[in-house]
Amino acid sequence: MKISIVGCGRVGSRLALALDQAGNEVTIIDERVAAFDRLGNDFHGNMVVGTGIDLGVLRRAGIEHADAFASVTNGDNRNLMAAQIAQVVFRVPRVITRIYDPIREEVYRELGLETVCSTTLIADLIQGYVVDGVNRAHATPAAAEPAASR
Amino acid sequence: MTEERPYVLIIGGGKVGYYLAKHLIERDYEVTLVEKDRERAEWIEHQLGSVIVMVGDGDEMSFLATTGIERAGVVIGCTGDDEDNLIACQLAKRKFKVPRTIARVNNPVNVEVFTSLGIDAPISATELLMGLIESELVGSEMVRGVAVKSSGASLVDVALPNLSVLAGRRLKDVALPDGAAIVCIVRRGQPVVPRPEEAILPDDELIVYSRQMDVEEVRRSLS
Repeated sequence: MKISIVGCGRVGSRLALALDQAGNEVTIIDERVAAFDRLGNDFHGNMVVGTGIDLGVLRRAGIEHADAFASVTNGDNRNLMAAQIAQVVFRVPRVITRIYDPIREEVYRELGLETVCSTTLIADLIQGYVVDGVNRAHATPAAAEPAASR
Repeated sequence: MTEERPYVLIIGGGKVGYYLAKHLIERDYEVTLVEKDRERAEWIEHQLGSVIVMVGDGDEMSFLATTGIERAGVVIGCTGDDEDNLIACQLAKRKFKVPRTIARVNNPVNVEVFTSLGIDAPISATELLMGLIESELVGSEMVRGVAVKSSGASLVDVALPNLSVLAGRRLKDVALPDGAAIVCIVRRGQPVVPRPEEAILPDDELIVYSRQMDVEEVRRSLS
C-alpha cells in the first residue's frame, strides 16, 4: 500500500517504521528536518519537509496516489485540516486522524472522519486498571482474565 | 443599535481581529471577540471599551458555547493560523448552525481548500495584497481585478497603453469573451458612458465586468 503520514513525532515515526517494515510504500511529512532523526537508519520510505496542510507539500508527498492517509501531529486542528484535505480534496480511500480533544473528536466523527482520540483511550485504560485491576494496555489474553490470581 | 445588524463573533484578536472589531463597533454591530492570550485580551478591552472580549480557545466547543455563538449571524475566523480558522468556522457552522462563516486565509492556496470544506467566504489578504502590488508593478498598462463579492464575477480595470491597437476602435467592435462587458470608460479621470458607438482614445481606462474565470481572456483581448 502507498501510505502518507503527516507528523513525525513519537506516534508518526513509530507508525511509519512499522508500516515500512511491513512492506508498504510510506511517505512521511514534517515541518522540521530534525524530526526525521526519530526514524533512524532503517527507514526506507520518503521524507518530505513541509506543512501537512499545504496542497503543494501533500502533492509532493504523493497523496494523489495514496491508498491511506494518517495525520498525527500534536495539533488537533492541523490534524483535522490535513485529514479533511486528504479525504475531500484528494479523495484518499482510507483517512484517519489522531485527536486529543474528545469533544472535537466526537464532532468530526459524526461528520464522517475516522478518528482516534488518545485522551479517551488512555483515560479508559487507566480507569480499567484502577477499577478492575486489569491493565488492558499490556494484557495478553491469558493474563487479562484472572486478574485476581496475579 | 440597528436591529438588522447580525451579532458578530470574531475569533482571534491579532491585528486583523482587533481592527475589524473596532471597525464593526463604529458601525454599530454587536461584536464579541475571542482571544486566547489574556494580556492581549485585556489590552483590546481597554482600547475598545464597549467590546466584549472573551479569553479562550475559539476551537474549544465548551468555550464556544459560552460566547452566545448560537445566536451569531456571522462568525469570522481571524487568527494567523489557517487550521484554527478553518476548525472554528466549521464548528460554528456545523455544531452551532451559524448561517455565515468568514475565514481569514493565510496561505493563498487554501482559499480553494476552505471553499471545498464548507467555509462561506475565505479571504486571503496575501492574495489581495499580491494583486494590488502586481498592478503597481506593471504600471498603468495593466489590470486590477476586483472580485464582486462571492459571485464568481470580477471587475477588471484596464488602462490602455498608448500604442494600444484598440485606440480609435468603437466599443461595439471590441471582441470580448461571452458574458463580459465594458461597463465604463474612464477618460481623463471622468467616467464616460460606454455607448456602442463610442471610440476608444489612447489614454482611456476601461472598466470591464466579467466572470472570474474569463479575466485572463479579457486581458488578452484588450492588449
